[in-house]
This record gives sequence, structure tokens and C-alpha cells, in this order.
Amino acid sequence: MSNSKNTILSLRNVKKHFPIKEGVFQNVVGQVHAVDGVSFDIGAGETVGLVGESGCGKTTIGRCVSGLEPLTDGDIFFDLTPEKLVALEDFEKHQSEIKNKYLIDEIQSTSNISKIEGDDFYNYRRNCQMVFQDSFSSLSPRQLVSDIVSRPLKIHKVCADNELIPRTIELLEQVGLGKQHLYRFPHQFSGGQRQRISIARALALDPKLIVLDEPTSALDVSVQAQILNLLHDLQKQRGLSYLFITHNLSVIRHMADKIVVMYLGKVVEAGKTEDIFANPQHPYTKALLAASPDLSEDVMSDMAALDGPIPDPARPPQGCSFRTRCPVSRTECGWEVDDIIRRLEHHETLIDSIKSVHQPDAFNAKLTFETSLSAIELKDVVGTKDIPKQMRKAIKKIEVKGNDVNISFDPVQTVPLVQSENGSLSRCVLANK
Amino acid sequence: MKKNAQNAGIDEVNFYDSAFNVRLKRNLEILSNVLANPTTVLGLIIVILMLAMAIFAPVITEPNTPDPYQMPRDWKAARSAPLTPGHILGTTNRGGDVFYGVVWGARTSLKLSILVVSLTVVLGVIIGSVAGIVGGKVDEILMRIVDVFLSIPELIFALAIAAILGPSFTNIILALVIVFWVKYARIMRAQVIRIKQREYVDAAKIMGASKLQIYLKDILPNSFSPVMVQATLDMGNIVLVGATLSFIGLSEAGIAEWGVLVSEGQAGISAGRWWASTFPGLMVFLWALAFNLVGDGLRDVLDPRTETKR
Amino acid sequence: MSPDNLDIQNSLDKDLIASVTDLKVYFESKQGMVHSVDGVSFDIVDGEMMGLVGETGCGKSVTARTFMQLVQSPPGMLAGGNIKFRSKNIKNGSQVIDLLDLSENQIRELRGERIAMIFQDPGKALNPGLTIRTQVAEVFQEHRENDVLEEAGLKNKLTGVTEYFVKKYIKQEAGFLVTTLFKIPPLSTYKKKIDSGINRLVAEALEETQIPNPTKVMERYPHELSGGMKQRVMIAQAIACNPDLLIADEPTTALDVTVQARVLDLIKELQKRHKTSVLYISHDLSLVRRICDRIAVMYAGQIVETGDAETIFNQPKHPYTQGLINALPSMSHERGKLEAIEGIVPELIEPEPGCRFVSRCMRRKANCEEIDPKLKPISEVNKSHKVACLLYEA
Repeated sequence: MSNSKNTILSLRNVKKHFPIKEGVFQNVVGQVHAVDGVSFDIGAGETVGLVGESGCGKTTIGRCVSGLEPLTDGDIFFDLTPEKLVALEDFEKHQSEIKNKYLIDEIQSTSNISKIEGDDFYNYRRNCQMVFQDSFSSLSPRQLVSDIVSRPLKIHKVCADNELIPRTIELLEQVGLGKQHLYRFPHQFSGGQRQRISIARALALDPKLIVLDEPTSALDVSVQAQILNLLHDLQKQRGLSYLFITHNLSVIRHMADKIVVMYLGKVVEAGKTEDIFANPQHPYTKALLAASPDLSEDVMSDMAALDGPIPDPARPPQGCSFRTRCPVSRTECGWEVDDIIRRLEHHETLIDSIKSVHQPDAFNAKLTFETSLSAIELKDVVGTKDIPKQMRKAIKKIEVKGNDVNISFDPVQTVPLVQSENGSLSRCVLANK
Repeated sequence: MKKNAQNAGIDEVNFYDSAFNVRLKRNLEILSNVLANPTTVLGLIIVILMLAMAIFAPVITEPNTPDPYQMPRDWKAARSAPLTPGHILGTTNRGGDVFYGVVWGARTSLKLSILVVSLTVVLGVIIGSVAGIVGGKVDEILMRIVDVFLSIPELIFALAIAAILGPSFTNIILALVIVFWVKYARIMRAQVIRIKQREYVDAAKIMGASKLQIYLKDILPNSFSPVMVQATLDMGNIVLVGATLSFIGLSEAGIAEWGVLVSEGQAGISAGRWWASTFPGLMVFLWALAFNLVGDGLRDVLDPRTETKR
Repeated sequence: MSPDNLDIQNSLDKDLIASVTDLKVYFESKQGMVHSVDGVSFDIVDGEMMGLVGETGCGKSVTARTFMQLVQSPPGMLAGGNIKFRSKNIKNGSQVIDLLDLSENQIRELRGERIAMIFQDPGKALNPGLTIRTQVAEVFQEHRENDVLEEAGLKNKLTGVTEYFVKKYIKQEAGFLVTTLFKIPPLSTYKKKIDSGINRLVAEALEETQIPNPTKVMERYPHELSGGMKQRVMIAQAIACNPDLLIADEPTTALDVTVQARVLDLIKELQKRHKTSVLYISHDLSLVRRICDRIAVMYAGQIVETGDAETIFNQPKHPYTQGLINALPSMSHERGKLEAIEGIVPELIEPEPGCRFVSRCMRRKANCEEIDPKLKPISEVNKSHKVACLLYEA
């Protein structure tokens, strides 16, 4: 970590939970763990790709970084010098003995975007902009291109009023448009051109970081290539950093220096682009690669085919969150009682006959059935192929007592992100060995 | 080839300072779309005629002194049939000139509808915006109040309020404002909630625009068209409800107002004196019809589904 | 669908299931006639998976919808061409018909029965107010009354008025009175049998698309299912009657890649098992390459190239196809050096003659703007690889 470049953005254990509200009084009945402890850094002039399927929390991270959503927990630091980053890492390792107290205080008061307010935050706005996926929805239909692109300049009073239009034209020219497009409405443009307008707007304040939320997903391949080229050129000219959010692996392979793969609110794999594509460590990354038609020879291979239920993000599983769909799961993946219930989709009558569940923790439970027959049936089902072999092995104890079934698993800690041989981080029990 | 020529044309024109022209062109385009519908044009013609009548009332008939909004009484010529010299549409039982009532009634109606609509729109837009933007409990409370108002039929509600306040023209305005604002609050809230989730609002937040700026520049302009359509429709409806209230006697007697005139002439209908009620009644009908036609035409053009995409 | 449709004009090569010839579909607009589909011709070989690829607005979806006469008219209008289709109806034997000549009633008999369609957005294609059972059952009730009778154990057991009413009831054509009659004995016993028969058929159909626990899923509403599951329901509905041709209009575009892999898997497997021909429409060339036997590439309302999937991908001839393949982000391109196709798709309002791609083409020649290129085989050797480009016209 001893390079001389600044770290533009550093996410530290970022959590974002959304409350689930119910009823007239809007009582909070649960929390959706959209982002659950995510950490990564973006260096100056670097592109970090955030990859995952819908609902994995990648868009939420983009919104947190751009300040649209307050964090539930964790910190996002902006523009850290190498010394500051070292100090911060040091501080996190040895909380008790603070060496550079003044430096930590300075970092917390000036760089922590979840803590700064007022003018400092206003300043951060200038340095972090965003480009959205849907250019129909991200450009106001009633504003002219001139208004849209010059608006950030006006808000931040970057230049005098008579300079606004020349500056706007300059920006439009940088994204491959021209002054003839100044006084037109967004709906008069094609999708690719509208995305160029969005990019021009994001560039207006000369930011250091741009969050790109699926910027090319709505575009055709030939136009996508134009936009990707443009983004690359702009990055080179201006030394921009990108947080590139997408589900498209071939786009991210082309664009990103580093990749962060997310699943169910957690990072499952992170590392350099080449490493991850050459030698993916996590089974989920492998599955994503295998399922992408432009990367894999056989999209219908077994590796690409993920079966099994996706856990409810309101009750994220302990242990590895991917184990329910993992083709290479093992006994030590952190199986829990909920997994049995998730796996009972072929036996809904059995689920219906569950009267109560007494669950002191995730790994032990007492299920009470309406009849003792159902209880015995459950035990039988657990012995069949409907339950993955590794999960069956992980069951420490299953015993039937009348209408009750006591089940217990070996408790497992949350799987940590660990360094694998090729230098990338991966959250998998297989990599831990 | 044609297309290239067009593009070249755009390049040649000096487009500095032409934002105004572009906006004007777009508004004219919308207008021409509105005018493409013959029934809308018919409605618009009637509206313009009515407005002309209201504006030029003092020119068309000599204003009554001291208060031109009071009906002039010609007791000698009471109960004259239409086409009587001096009373082209006849007179009422009490010698009021029906033609004068019809002309000055347009003014009263215009006054009524403009006052009520502008007050209700302002009130409804403010309350609806607050509910939509603040959300949560505030929204919940405001919307329950709106529900209470909406659960009572418009006319009966207005009638009750006007009756409590006592018969006067001002009280009719007040009663109508109290009844009609809820619709706008509802429409505005729904629109604000819809628009506030648009990504251009997020984009404005990221730029650092203040909440007020976002409201005024992004949310309000993009959520206003349904309010405008409803306002146009209500320009007609309010006169209809207002006339009903006047007809029942909740307005001041003797005022030049269509509802009052219909009520005054009603007694004569059985005796064959149809004119005193028919002409003002026809005016109420035409007024309401015209604004409804225009409102429907506007709705077709300003429909939010057709405006964002080509 | 009467046998007299079988005239000389309607002959079709034996190995083909459908053949589109010079299809033209125009749309009226304020600015003029939009030539959305302008002279499209291609064949679908019996039992193959044919891919129709192109970018937004190239007319691929309109072409697909024309098969089922689903293009709204107005503003749409059929400006020419025909679609010959071999209907392998078991009852009447196979016969060749022109899909565009059929009346509304005739095409309705064919829809869902001989030709089925799955759409991009299953959320929109399924009715949110009806259970999955009702929606899948409709297909059986409409087209498979005999199967329903058999499944209900009522086949050849009914006569006269009862049979008439029961059939009406199955087809959901019974009026209020008859429906009420089915609620009271003795007809109510039939109702029970029919309903459980339909249930079994629906469950079977759902089972076939690997939906876990079909009897439970049947009772759910679309919004209670995930995107992948809804797409499976759509597929179950489409293949319920074992159609000869399945038209899949971007069925996996709205899905995540891992779910997409499973759905593709399923379509491919069903196609093999039932020997259904599939017309697969997509914007994603690399996806189509993986699953289709042959590909037709569309640009601006016309087919520019057609041939085997591998040939098209490895030896593309048309500058547009080449551009499309090169524009894919890949490792072989240095970052920022993707070979984008510059420019934008031309407006299709009353287009003038000449190649549609000329304004974006890097290899255009002098006469490209004047001469309409025709889709012709590239060489004597490989007749199946056709391209519409002047570069290859000797």
C-alpha cells in the first residue's frame, strides 16, 4: 500500500439496512440488509468495478457513495493521502494505542463523508458525481440540454453568468456533442447521446470520482462501445476515478482495474481484474463467468447452473451466504436450521404442518409439528437427496420427540475475506485452507 | 439525404440565446397538438366567446348603477317575452333584464371560477407537496383528512358549508374552496411521490442543489400538468356547483348570477314564461361543457405517459 | 385452415417449418410511413433453433409479432410479403398455410396451439389478477378440450346435451346460466372432475419447466414469484400444447445471468425433447451464438446476413455484423480502443434506396448509396451463408 497516489475513496465496513415497515403506524418489523459490511478502496485514476446480480446491493453502495443514502454503519473516507491511509489502517488494527491521534482526528473531521456536514459536504458534492443507467429518467424532460449541463455550474457558482454557455459548450464538445445540441430537449436525442449528456453534466464540476451505475446497460452494443471509449478517454485526460457498477462481466473486464464481486450485500471476491478473470476463487464468481455468453464457451455448463433458493436479505444467513446455491458447498459452510426450511420447497405440506419454531440461535432449533407423523417425515426428508449431502453431514443432531424435532448444527463463524494465492481476496471456506 | 440537410441547417444557425425560441416552439407544438382535436377547438371557441362576453360586459350592456353586479329592475316591463324592444331576451318576474343577467352573469362566473380555482390550486398544491415530500406520519395525517373530505359528496358538502356560513356570494366562494382543494392535494401528492423517485431528482441532489431548488426546478414543473388539466375541468364544474348553490338561495338575491336567475325564473315556467330560466341555464351548461372539452383535450396532449417518450 | 388453402402457392420445402418472404410492415406516423420491416426473408428449418439478432428498433420484434398477427393496426400495416407455415395439426395432418391470410378467428385457433410466444417481460405478459393455474389452464381449455375430458375421465362417456354443455364449460364459453348449472348436482360432479383434470394438466406442464412444487405454485399470483420463475410459467404456458413453432422474444434479457443460464438450458432441453422449432429473438449476438443453429442479423428493417451460428460469428461478411462482433468488449482490445460503430441508426421514415448501413459503414463504395443490396449466397460452396452487401456482389 506504499504507492504515492492518493486513495480517492475508502469504504470501511459500510452497512446499509433498510427498515421494513408495516401497518398504519409504520412500525419497523425488520431490516433488509442491503449492504452488510463492505470495504474496498478506489485509488486516484483507478476504475473499480462492482459486479453482482440484481439485489446484491451494488446500486445501494453507489447511492451511499454519492451521498444519496445515509449509512447505517461504517465509514466512507474521501481523498486520503498515503500517510492518512496508513494511519487509518494502523488505527483500525490497534484501536487502543493511538499513535497519530491528530491525524486520525483530521481524517474523521475532513474526509469522512458520513460525518462531515455543511460546506465540507457541499465540497464533496463537487468531487463525486454520478451517471445513471436510465437516461430517460435521469434527465428532466422539461429542461433544455443547456440547462441540464450548466446547472451544476450555477449551483456551485463556478463561473460568471456570461461564461456559462461557453463552458457548457466546452463540456458538450468533450463528450462528443456540440453547440448545435445546446437548445434541445432530452427526448430529441438517441439513448447513446442522452448518456453523453449525463456524462457532460457529471463532468461539469470537474469531480475526482464518478459513480457509474450501469451506464451502458440500456444501450446497444455498438453504442455501448462508443460510450465505453469515451469514458476511458475522459479518465485519461482528467485523471478521474470511476466506481463502475454493472452486471455485465465483459464490460467490467474491459474497463476495470480492480473488481469487487458482491453477493447478498457482502463482498465475496475482490482483486485485480486480470487475477479474477484468469483464476476466480469464489464459486459464485466462477458461476457468473461461466454463465456469461460472451466469456464462456458453454453457458449451459454445470458451473453456470445455480440451483437452490436465494436467502431472504432480511434474514441474511450466518456463515457463507452463497452456500444455498453453491455447486461445491461443504459441511463447514455454516449450515443452519433455516436452510432445512428453505430446502423444503418440494414438501410444502410438511412446512404447513409446522406449528411453532423455537430457535434460540441460528444453529439450534426445536420444530413443533401438528402430528408426530410429520415430525418423523421431516427426519426422513432430511435423509433424502432433497437436502444437499454436505448439509446433511453438517447436522450435528436431529432427534424426534413426539411432535417435536430437535435439530442442531455445528456453529460456524462468518466466513472472512482472506487473501488467496493469486493475491485477490475471497470469502469462501475453500480458500481458507 | 433529407436528414443530413436538416442537420446541416441546425449547424449553420447561431444558436446562442435561442433557448427562448426553442421553448416557444415547443409550446406552440403543444398548442397545435391541442388544436388538432376539433372538439377541443369547439370548446375553446365557446370559452373565448364567454370570456369576451365577460370582459366586454360594460360595452355590451350599460352597467347598472351603483353596483353593476346587481340586476337592473324595470318594474314596468316585468314578465316581458323575448324580443321585446329593450329586453331582447325578455325580463323576469321582477323586471330584471335576462340579457343583462346573462352577460353580467358571465363576469360573476368568471370571477367565481378564477378565484376558487386559483385558491384551491394553491392550497392543494402546497398541502399535496408537503405530504408527498415530507412523507411518513405527516403524509398519513394529511391524507386521512383528505379522505374525510372526499367521503362527503361535493355538492352536499358545499351546500352544508354555505348554509352554515349564511347566504352570500363570498360564502359560496369560501364553501367551494373548502370542498375543491382536496382533489388537488391528492393529485399533487401522487405526482410528487412519482417524480421524486426519478433519477433526475437524485442527480440534482448529487449536484448539491438545495431542497427548495429541487422542488421548484425538478419536482414542480414535472408534476404540474395533471393539476392544470384538473383546474381547467374545474373552471367549468365550479360554475355548475356555484349555480346550484345560488339556485337554492345561498347567494345574495338580485345579483346578476346565472344560478340566481334560473331560480328567479323558475316560478314562471309553469305559466309559460320559459325564457327567464332557460337562457341563464343554457349559459351554465355551455360554460361547463366548454371547459370540460378543453380540459379533456389538454389531458390527451399533456398525458404524462406520452410526454417523456417520443 | 380449410384444405383449399393448400394450393400451389402455399408449397413449402419439406425440411422447413416456416418461411418468411419479402415481409414488409410499415407504421404510420406524423412524419410519414416508417418502414420498420422492409423486405425481410428467411426460413426456419423444422426442429432448429433460429436466431434473429439486431439492435433496438431494427424490426426484429415486429417481425416476430407478425407471425401471430399481433401488430396493432393502425398504426401498423402489412405492406407486403407472406409467412408460410407448416401446421402439423394431428387431426388434419400437416398442411401449409399463409399466416398473413388467416382471419382473426383462424389465427386465434393457431395462437398458443401451433405457434406460441414468450416475451421479454414475464411480469407484463402475465395477468397480475389471475392465479398461475387460471392462466396456464386457459391454454388447455382453449385448445385441448379432449385432453381435459380424458384427464377428467369423461372421454366418450358423455352424450347429447351434457356433452355439449361440458365442452362449452371447458372452453369457458358457457353463459352465466350454464355456469350456475355446473354448481349444482348432477353437473357439479362433472365440474369437480373437470377441475381436477385441468389441475393435473397444469401441474404437469409446470413440472416440465422444472418448477418446484407445482401444485402450490399454481395457486399463487404472478407477483409472488421471482422473475426466473415467472419466465418458467410463461414457458410452461407456451409449450403446453406442444406447438410446432415457439417464438421467444428476448426471454432472458430481464433476468440475471445465472438465472438466464437456467432458462436457456430449459428452452434448449424442451426444444430437443418436443422437436419444437424455435425463433429466438435477441440483441445479444454472443448469447444467440451459444444456443442457436442458425442466425439472421437484422439492421434497420432488413436482414443483412444469415448463416450458421458459428460461420456468422467466426467469418462475418457484412460490415455491420463485423462491427457488431468487434464492438463487444473483449480482452483483445486495448481499453478505450473498442471498435465502436460510429454514427446512429438512420430514421426509417420513407427511406430512399441504397444500403441502410451506408452512413456508418467503413467500407462503403461509391454506388452503395444508390443500389439496394440483395441478400445473396456468399459463394457457390456455402449456399446457406447469405449476405446483403455490394462488396460481395461480383
